[in-house]
Amino acid sequence: MSKLVGQRMKRKEDPKLITGNATYLDDLKIPNLLHAYILRSPHPHANIKSIHKDKALAHPGVVAVYTGKDLEGKINPVPTSWKVPGMNLIETAQYPLAIDTARYVGDGVAMVIASDRYAAEDAAELVEVEYEVLPSISNQKEARKEGAPQIYDEVPNNTAFTYIAGEVTDADIDGAEVVIRGNYSTQRVAPSPMETRNSLAQYNPGNGELKLYVGSQNPHIHRMVLSEVLDFPEHRLQVKVADMGGGFGGKIGVYPDEALVSYAAIDLKRPVKWVETRNEHFQSANAGRDMMVDVELAGTKDGKITAIRVVNHANIGAYLATFGPGNPTIDFGLMVSGPYKIPKAQVTTYGMYTNTMSVDSYRGAGKPEVTFMLERAVSDFAKEIGMDPVEVRKLNFAQKEEFPFTNAQGLVYDSGDYDKALDRAVEIADYEKLRQEQKMALGEGRYIGIGISSYVELSGFGPSAVAGGIGFQGGIWENSTVRVHPTGKVTVFTGTSPHGQGHDTTFTQIVADKLGIPYEDINFVFNDTKAVSMGWGTYGSRSLAVGGNAVALSTDKVIEKGRIVAAHLLQSEVENVAFEKGVYFVKSDPTMRKTFQEIAKAANFAWDMPEGIEPGLEEKTFFDPSNFTYPFGTHIVVVEVDPETGHVEILRYISVDDSGKIVNPLVAEGQILGAVAQGVGQALWEEIKYDEKGQLQTGSFMDYTMPKARFFPKIEMDFTETLSPVNQLGSKGVAESGVTGSIAATANAVMDALAPFNVENISIPLTPEKVWRAIQKGEGKQ
Amino acid sequence: MDIKHTHKFKALSAQQVWDTIQNPEVLKAVLPGCKTFDEVGDEQYKAVLGINMGPIKGEFTADVEQVDKNEPTSYRLLVKASGKPGEIDANALMELEEVDGNTELTCTADVAATGLMATIGQRMIGGVAKVVLKQFFKDIEKKAKQ
Repeated sequence: MSKLVGQRMKRKEDPKLITGNATYLDDLKIPNLLHAYILRSPHPHANIKSIHKDKALAHPGVVAVYTGKDLEGKINPVPTSWKVPGMNLIETAQYPLAIDTARYVGDGVAMVIASDRYAAEDAAELVEVEYEVLPSISNQKEARKEGAPQIYDEVPNNTAFTYIAGEVTDADIDGAEVVIRGNYSTQRVAPSPMETRNSLAQYNPGNGELKLYVGSQNPHIHRMVLSEVLDFPEHRLQVKVADMGGGFGGKIGVYPDEALVSYAAIDLKRPVKWVETRNEHFQSANAGRDMMVDVELAGTKDGKITAIRVVNHANIGAYLATFGPGNPTIDFGLMVSGPYKIPKAQVTTYGMYTNTMSVDSYRGAGKPEVTFMLERAVSDFAKEIGMDPVEVRKLNFAQKEEFPFTNAQGLVYDSGDYDKALDRAVEIADYEKLRQEQKMALGEGRYIGIGISSYVELSGFGPSAVAGGIGFQGGIWENSTVRVHPTGKVTVFTGTSPHGQGHDTTFTQIVADKLGIPYEDINFVFNDTKAVSMGWGTYGSRSLAVGGNAVALSTDKVIEKGRIVAAHLLQSEVENVAFEKGVYFVKSDPTMRKTFQEIAKAANFAWDMPEGIEPGLEEKTFFDPSNFTYPFGTHIVVVEVDPETGHVEILRYISVDDSGKIVNPLVAEGQILGAVAQGVGQALWEEIKYDEKGQLQTGSFMDYTMPKARFFPKIEMDFTETLSPVNQLGSKGVAESGVTGSIAATANAVMDALAPFNVENISIPLTPEKVWRAIQKGEGKQ
Repeated sequence: MDIKHTHKFKALSAQQVWDTIQNPEVLKAVLPGCKTFDEVGDEQYKAVLGINMGPIKGEFTADVEQVDKNEPTSYRLLVKASGKPGEIDANALMELEEVDGNTELTCTADVAATGLMATIGQRMIGGVAKVVLKQFFKDIEKKAKQ
C-alpha cells in the first residue's frame, strides 16, 4: 500500500529556504518596534552594589532601562521543568535580571530598550554597575570539595542534587578478574545553531493579548512556563515560532531573556525585539554535556562484563535549566549498561552548581555522554584482555530473541538486533582487511587507528505516566488534527515544532499514502500555540515516533468517518465499503464509488449526512505511546595520526543505524550526517572553556572550533530496519543517533592509532596539542 | 594568562635603562595610546590609555603601582585597568640584568581579564601584548640613548 513512505522525497521546506523566501524572526517588521539589549555581568560571581542608569536614560533613542531591582516582585523566577524526585533537588531562584548577585559571566544585570539596536547597545555602555567581586569556581569536582567558594547559602557544597540508580557493591568490583578504571568525561560544548536566540513580543492593550515570537523548539512549553513567570493568563498568550535556523537542544529552554522582552512589551505597550549576538550566545545560551565521569567496569578474562559502577559529576551551571536536572540523571543513569547484558549497574550523579552558564539538553542529552563513557571503557576492557573490540561487543550484546529486553536499570527496550547492525558495519568497513592494512601501515611508520562504538539510546519520549514518575513537568504525548477542506485539500496541525527536521515532508508522505491524494494537496501547520491546541515540541527524537504517529492515527480516523459518509451516500453498509487510492467503493461492486474529494465536499456541506453523524471532516488524536523507542547501531571510524603534529585525519567513517521504519531515507541520512559532524566535533575539536574562576575564554568562533565539511571524508551510511512495536509506523528516533554513536568511535580510533606510543587515556577533545603531548609523554620525552 | 617577554637594550647599563623606564614623562610619551599619565601618590599613577585591537576597542582607565623596587635590578608593576571592553588585572615582574655590556629586561606578567577582553580576546591578547611590549621597549631604548 505504501507509495511515498520509504521514498527519497526532496524536502518540501527547501525551496522556500534556498530562494530567500523564509521569514526569520529578525526579518519581522512591525510598526513602533523597540529594540532590547541586555547588559551582562563580566564577573563570574559578584554582588551588585549599585546600578546608575541616568546616563543611559539620557542617551538619544532610549525609552527605558530596567534593573533586577526594578523588576523585583513583578516577574517570577524562571523555573526548571524537570524535577527528578528522590534526589534532594535544591532549586534556586533564577530571576530574569540578577537582583543582588550575578552568578556567571553573562548573567543579565540590566536591560536597555531603545528605538534602534545601536542606541540600545551604546546606551548599555553608559549603565554604571558597581560590583563587589566574590570568590568563584567553574570546575564541578572542585566545587564539591570542602572550602570551595559557595554559590548559594542554601546549597551546601554547591550540590544541587545527588542521584543514585542501581547498586554495585565493592565486592562486585574488587572480586572481578578484570577491572577497568578510568575517567571518560565529556567536555562542555555550545549547541551553536546557525540562528542565535531571539524574541519579539507584541502586547495589545485593547484586548490584553500578548503575542510572543521566540526561537523555541517547544512553543507550548514556552507558553505554559512564561505564563507562570509573567503571571500572565495562558489563554491570552500566543507563542509563535518564525522560520528558525536550528536548535539542537539549545532552544528547548525557557530563558530569562524571553520573559524580559515580554515584560517590556507589556510595560511600554510597544512591541520589543531582542536578537542575541554570537558572543552573547557563547555566554548565555544553555551549554551541553560537561559531565566528569569516573568508571569502574568489571569483567572476566574471557570477555564477559559483570558490573559497571559510575560516578558522574555533572556541571549544571549557575542555575537549573529547563531540562537540566534530567539529562545527567534519567537519560544518563538509566542507560549506563547500553546495549549489553551487564547484570549489575550503578550510577551516582552529583549535580553541581558552578559559576558558569547553565547546562541543558544538547543533541542526545545524556545518551552521547553515557555511550562515550561505556564504549571507551568497553574498548579499553577489550584491549586489557587481549580480545578484539568487535568480539567483546558481540559477546555481551542483548540478543534479538530477548526483546523486549530489560536492562540492568530496569528500562525495557522495545526491539533490537544489535548483531545485525554491527555485522553490517564490519562488512562495509571490511574490518579484517582494515586490521591488516593497519599493521602494514605501521611497518611504514604510519599510525592508523580503527575505532568502534555500538550504542542504544532512548528516544521518542512517552508515555506520559512515565514523565510523571521521573518528575518531568509536562506530558509527553503528542497531538494532531487532520482537517479536510470542502475541496478535499488537507491541513494538518501538529504539536511538534520542526526547525530543520523536515516534518512537513515526512509527515506529508504518511498522510498522502493513507488518503491516496496528491502530495501537494497536504499542508502542515506547526509552531503556533493559537493554531495548534497543545503539543510538547521537538526534542529527544520524538517527532516522528510520537508526533508522526499521532498524524497517522488522526488520518485513520478521517478515513473511517469518510467511510461512514460514503456508505450512506452509496446506500451500502459501512463494513462493505473499501477505501483504496483515494476512492471509497462498494466491495461487491467497485463501480459504486465516491472519491475522497467528493466525500470531503459532502461531509463539509452536510446536505445528506448519516443519522447521528456530525458535519465536517476533521479528526484529532492525542497519542500517548506505551513505551520509549530504542534506536541502536554501530559506527566504525578509521583515522591516521601524524605523530609529528598530533593532527588527526579521518580516513573513513562508517555508520550503520537502526531507527525502525524510515519514512524518508534522504531526511534520515541528513540527520545522521549532521549528528556525526557534531559528535566528531565533540571528540576532536569543540570545547567551551572557562578559567578556574569561571571567566569564559571561548566567546567566539575564533576560539571555538566548529566542524567544517572539509574535515570529513564521505560518510558511508547504511541502515538496518528493526520495527518498533510501540507505534503504528514502527519508527524510532533518528536525530540523535549519529552523535551518540560517533564520539566514542572517533576517540577509540585515535587511541587505537596511539597504541604503539604507550599513551595513557586522553580526555576529549583530542586536539593536535593534546595528542602530540601524549605521544611525547608516552615516549618519555616530556 | 601568562605573558613573558625579554628585550635586549644594546650598549646600555641597567642603571641607564632603569632611569629611563622610571621617568613618568618618558612613560607618557612611549606608552601606546597613552592620553594621560599622572602621579597620584608615592609610586602610584593614574593613566588613561586608548586601546584598539580587533573587536576590543575603547578607553581604559588604569591604576598603576610600583612595588618591591630593587634599583636597578628589579621591580614589580601592578596594573588595574577598566574600560568598556572589560577589566584587566596585571601583576608584572620586571627584571634587569647586564649581559656583555647590554641590559636584558625581562617582563613576566600574570594577566587576568574580564568581559570582551576575556571572552573573545584571549587568543589575540598574548600576541598583541608581545607586539605592544616590543614597540614599547624599542621606544624606551631610543629615549635612553637620547
